[in-house]
Amino acid sequence: MSNGFSRREVMAIGGAVASTAALTPMARARMMPQDMDRDVFAAVVRELRAIVGDDWVFADEASTLSYRKSGIPDLRGEHVPSGAVAPANVEQVQAILAVANRYRLPLWPISTGKNMGYGMATPASSGQMILDLKRMNRILDFDAELGTILVEPGVTYQQIHDYIEDNDLPYWIDVPTVGPIVSMVGNTLERGVGYTPYGDHFFMQCGMEVVLADGTVLKTGMGSIENGNTWQAFKWGYGPYLDGIFTQSNFGVVTKLGMWMMPRPPAYKPFMVRSAEVSDIAAITDAVRPFRMNNLIPNAVMMMGALYQLSMFNRRADIWQEEGPIPEEVIKTLARQNELGMWNTFFALYGTDETIAATEPIIRGAFEAIGGEVLTDAELNGNPYFEHNKALMRGGLTLEEKGLVRWWGRSGGAIAFAPVAPAKGGETQGQTELAIEVMNKWGFDYAPAYVVGSRELHHIIFLMFDKGDDEQSAKAEQCMNEMITRFGERGWAAYRSSVSTMDLVADQYGAANREVNARLKQALDPNHIIAPGKQGIA
Amino acid sequence: MHARQRRWTALTLGLVLLAGGGLAGSLSNSASAQATYEIEPRAPEYLYARTCGYCHGHNIAPIIRGRNLPPAVISSIVRSGMGAMPAFKPTEITDTELEALSEWISQSEADPEEHGQ
Ligand SMILES: Cc1cc2nc3c(=O)[nH]c(=O)nc-3n(C[C@H](O)[C@H](O)[C@H](O)COP(=O)(O)OP(=O)(O)OC[C@H]3O[C@@H](n4cnc5c(N)ncnc54)[C@H](O)[C@@H]3O)c2cc1C
Ligand code: HEC
Repeated sequence: MSNGFSRREVMAIGGAVASTAALTPMARARMMPQDMDRDVFAAVVRELRAIVGDDWVFADEASTLSYRKSGIPDLRGEHVPSGAVAPANVEQVQAILAVANRYRLPLWPISTGKNMGYGMATPASSGQMILDLKRMNRILDFDAELGTILVEPGVTYQQIHDYIEDNDLPYWIDVPTVGPIVSMVGNTLERGVGYTPYGDHFFMQCGMEVVLADGTVLKTGMGSIENGNTWQAFKWGYGPYLDGIFTQSNFGVVTKLGMWMMPRPPAYKPFMVRSAEVSDIAAITDAVRPFRMNNLIPNAVMMMGALYQLSMFNRRADIWQEEGPIPEEVIKTLARQNELGMWNTFFALYGTDETIAATEPIIRGAFEAIGGEVLTDAELNGNPYFEHNKALMRGGLTLEEKGLVRWWGRSGGAIAFAPVAPAKGGETQGQTELAIEVMNKWGFDYAPAYVVGSRELHHIIFLMFDKGDDEQSAKAEQCMNEMITRFGERGWAAYRSSVSTMDLVADQYGAANREVNARLKQALDPNHIIAPGKQGIA
Repeated sequence: MHARQRRWTALTLGLVLLAGGGLAGSLSNSASAQATYEIEPRAPEYLYARTCGYCHGHNIAPIIRGRNLPPAVISSIVRSGMGAMPAFKPTEITDTELEALSEWISQSEADPEEHGQ
């Protein structure tokens, strides 16, 4: 499509990109912290420069641009940072927090800042300074016998993958679908998911180091034992288990994180079950659940809606040029042309050839009984949709799903809504019906994926829209709010939220919950300098 | 090999590799004060394969090699992001690295293995 760009056209794009900041106030890359005078901000910047060096404080339009980028609607400029500061070690983090306390500078910590679909690196409210921890990028330990790793925030899954290859370690990584450019720390702190048997990342997390607002360095679990060696081996430590309160939270800055790694299995066999109708989702869910409970299927099972898959490699305009959401029949036809059904359920077996051979018939039987076609490499090798999930289920690195962000066109745009529910057929059926109703009403296509963890499922709905079109961005925002609200009325709430809906979702979790979080916040960060607004905590 | 020794070796090797992207080099003592690639920039091919190449020429984004795109334009797009492309910050790809990367992309031949969007 744009392969044939002339030099002049590209120049024009580059120029436009470089000057977007000047176009409209809402496109500004920077906004000052609320209630802070310019000269005070200048003093802050001077002090931060003294800590990290001139090169690592970003406090003008041009250098803040990278932190401003996101794919969610932000029509009123509510998620615009004031700048960024990038420490290289724990001591610098402590020194930055001291400055922030002195001046009441709000800091928004990120590890790699690729929280895509949820606001990337942008803060919950404008004027916060991004605390960019990417420069802290060391793999501090890899215990080859225990299969445990200790990493700093800036370590990407690509880096861990390379480390394993270079050192020929018998382990796999477990990645979100956007592994190469995102961090183990950021993803795990958001309680993100992957697709091998180690897919519930927070479940596999073991020990962390946190810098509190007052500079205290806390090592959770066994990490504080003098001469201890059990930090990455035993999760729970002694007394209250604290790791949880530092996930999806603003109670501290996490500077180290331990994780368990999956031993590489001798044999791996990926499957896809093809189901023809949208209404098959209930039966699929009920077929999957027992195998997740008894672990015959050891990995998180993905039920991919055809449109989610098709949107990776296709543009909307190539499929449908008329008004309104794409009709089901059109999707069905295109799915069939790509060897897909309306739901395509992915799981894998791990072990030895013998254990896989023993398990496979049991699982096949259950899916065939509900009319699913159970397919493997024998039938689908080379199919790009099959290959994509096949890679994910063994921790493979890909960015193919980023394709869905440009569904509507060049400007991109996608915001995620991820409600959770018990893994029961009635739930998926109800959620799918409700999502289709609300999204189609606003003119958007329903592109879903369900991920069955164990007894629960995550419903991943990417609301794809055209961020270059303000009217559509406004609709996307309204559609998202309506979805969150209507799902809430049925008792379904999101497991995570974009920076634009943090309060809305927090309200659904109730007043007592918000109040307890507020009290913890007050105790740990009385000046509210760490990520105010994160998950609705001021 | 003794287990502890093996673990130590793995750690050292990893740091060296991270520092140079496969370049031979000795372990830097100042690793804790700076990200290693701030001291020894990673090669353009290495960065391209581990970042850009997952999307460009791989179904998701247009081919950018072999097109003589002006380096300054490439650099500015990397820093700002573009549509579905995220922005990459100086903490992810340093200014020195980006300059070399953009130059390399601009000069590089098209890769016949790559395919459009
Ligand atoms: C197409 C697509 C597919 C995706 N697939 C998946 C998927 O399969 N699974 C999944 O989980 N996600 C997925 N995502 C969402 C997201 O991109 C990933 O979760 C990603 O890992 C988050 O970005 P990050 O690792 O850079 O975290 P960051 O952006 O660095 O961190 C996320 C948030 O965590 C907090 N935080 C981060 N670091 C710290 C710290 N050190 N101390 C305190 N707080 C901190 C901050 O609030 C920050 O905003 C997908 C997104 C898209 C667009
Ligand atoms: C997550 C996927 C992704 C990654 C990673 C990525 N890009 Fe992009 N890039 C895109 C997309 C999508 C576009 C096209 C936007 C559009 O449609 O206009 C793009 C556009 C571009 C363009 C303009 C090309 C044109 O013909 O308009 C350049 C130059 C570019 N990217 C360079 C890079 C470089 C250099 C890197 C690595 C540092 C990189 N990109 C990493 C997705 C990506």
